[in-house]
Amino acid sequence: MTVTLQQSTTSGVLEARRLHNEKLARKADQTRAAWFPLALMAVLVALPLLQLTGNYNYVLHMVLFTASYVAMASGWNILGGFAGYISLGHAVFFAIGGYFSGMILARFGVSTIVTAPLAGLVAAVIGYLIGMVTLKVRGPSFIISSIALLMIARILFDNWEFVGGANGVTLPVTSLPVLWAKIPYYYAMLAIAAFSVWASYRIKHSKFGLGLRAISKDEIKAESAGIDTRFYKVMAFALSAFFVGMAGAVWGEYITYLRPNIFLIMPIAVNLVLMAILGGKGTVAGPVIGAVLIVALNELFVAMMGASELNILGTGLVMALGLIFFPLGLVGTLARRGKLPRVLNWD
Amino acid sequence: MAEILQILILGLALGGVIALMGSGLSLVFGVMRIVNLAHPSLIIAGAYITYWAFKLLGVDPIVMLPVASVIMAAIGVLLYRLMLERQTKSAKYSEMTVLLTFALAMVVEGALGGLFTNTQRIVSPDYATDAFFIGDLFIPKGQLYAGIVSLTIIVGLTLFLKYSRLGYAIRATTQNREAAELLGVNVNFISVLAFAIGIGLAGAAGSLVSFVFSFFPAKHGEWIAMLMSVVVLGGMGSILGTVVAALFLSVIAAFVGAWIGATWSTLTFFVALFLILLVRPQGLFGEKPEMA
Repeated sequence: MTVTLQQSTTSGVLEARRLHNEKLARKADQTRAAWFPLALMAVLVALPLLQLTGNYNYVLHMVLFTASYVAMASGWNILGGFAGYISLGHAVFFAIGGYFSGMILARFGVSTIVTAPLAGLVAAVIGYLIGMVTLKVRGPSFIISSIALLMIARILFDNWEFVGGANGVTLPVTSLPVLWAKIPYYYAMLAIAAFSVWASYRIKHSKFGLGLRAISKDEIKAESAGIDTRFYKVMAFALSAFFVGMAGAVWGEYITYLRPNIFLIMPIAVNLVLMAILGGKGTVAGPVIGAVLIVALNELFVAMMGASELNILGTGLVMALGLIFFPLGLVGTLARRGKLPRVLNWD
Repeated sequence: MAEILQILILGLALGGVIALMGSGLSLVFGVMRIVNLAHPSLIIAGAYITYWAFKLLGVDPIVMLPVASVIMAAIGVLLYRLMLERQTKSAKYSEMTVLLTFALAMVVEGALGGLFTNTQRIVSPDYATDAFFIGDLFIPKGQLYAGIVSLTIIVGLTLFLKYSRLGYAIRATTQNREAAELLGVNVNFISVLAFAIGIGLAGAAGSLVSFVFSFFPAKHGEWIAMLMSVVVLGGMGSILGTVVAALFLSVIAAFVGAWIGATWSTLTFFVALFLILLVRPQGLFGEKPEMA
């Protein structure tokens, strides 16, 4: 008796896989509303026109502030959401970006908007180096090491005379009239935020992103499936540092101060984590929604009770309740229940 | 020579207090695998209890210590029941508990800050500003007493863990949760008990801290990394390791502070934490790299 094996050529397998992927993509497209982020973006780009009708600097500031957190939380999400390595020390890269571009501005007068990508790269390189060391441990150890990183950076920056030590550096104030002073930073931060959301989408849908998600599920299995986990993790760290660094660069010039107690503080690092987790860790829309929510909530707290300890109390409560009742975050929980509105499905 | 000896004494006295601050953290991790980032903030809560008892009623901090630790232990039971117990089934248990306790730390900091403002406070019984003199050397009484009380409590804790029936059960749970449960240990009860003891130790440490360091609600941020470095170096879960590491690191920090500069002294702890996690994540006395 002869057995005829079905011949499966390499190209046949690839063809089948391509068809399958296309089917999945079509299915995903049916539930996705790609027009929504684009429409949102269009509205935000047109928003500064409000200035022609009156002084809406507060609105612009809030959008800019939110955009900076969108960029940072999306960046954090690459490491914390996709790869599952929770870092409580990402404020370090915010400071690195801010200080790098800010010092160039102070010394050579080049605007941080121009040097922001460079600042991102510097943050990424430093992130890469730090990641090579700290990503050897995982779980709680990694979280603790990231806290230690923030503490070390704070002491170093506090005592680094070249960048002004604990007093920091004052940056030149823009010469634009008050009404238009925020506009360059507004567009720069918006661009950075949009870029980071787009990048986070691209990463999630790449082989690299798939590898990261495999690492977050089970690192040992991922490794044995042939993923270079070490390289993937370290790259994720560097990429997440990149976006945080860029946001930091523009933020520094915008507030015209570089000071360790503005950049290197726990609340900033915590906010990133909180936004990404509350919004939905490992989703594209999650950090964006988280950032909007937390900034709005923060503003509400400040308006109601003043910027005080109660604000910390509120943040902590929101974080605890969110973790207990929505461990997957808003987007994640809704998606699991099949109730995610189409406009929020960006994945 | 006298200078070296002097620094050594000061380092050891502080190390004794830091050992007590860290031992609760270590116990809680050992039994429940919870990295309790709220521990330092609960120490500060204990310090406030002692502070107000001293200020309003004139109760000596060391006398107040048992009261503070009982109050904090009760709070610990409540906290465990409210937020940590339901996490035991979570797949990302250890990470969830880290984040939850971090949130708790913020809640405690915010609540204390709202109630008592962020003014620096310190309890000042007579002995806190006094010292023994031996030749050229001086030993601050406050730190000495605190160190002695702290080491006594730790010895008591060690004896309890080693010889009492509950201590057996706690150690069994530390070693292997499932096996302990199979042998009839009520692991849930043991977890609550260990958490309560851990937070009670935070309260006790708070009473001592109240007259050794000045404190304010936001101070716990500094202590998280400091205590973590002590506990990680000692090996998470090992009380003996915590004591050795606390004495060792605080002596080094004292030397760094004296010879290089006071600002760099806390850096010792952070750098140590960083290095230990990378070189030997299981610490000095830890058995296997559980956290890695």
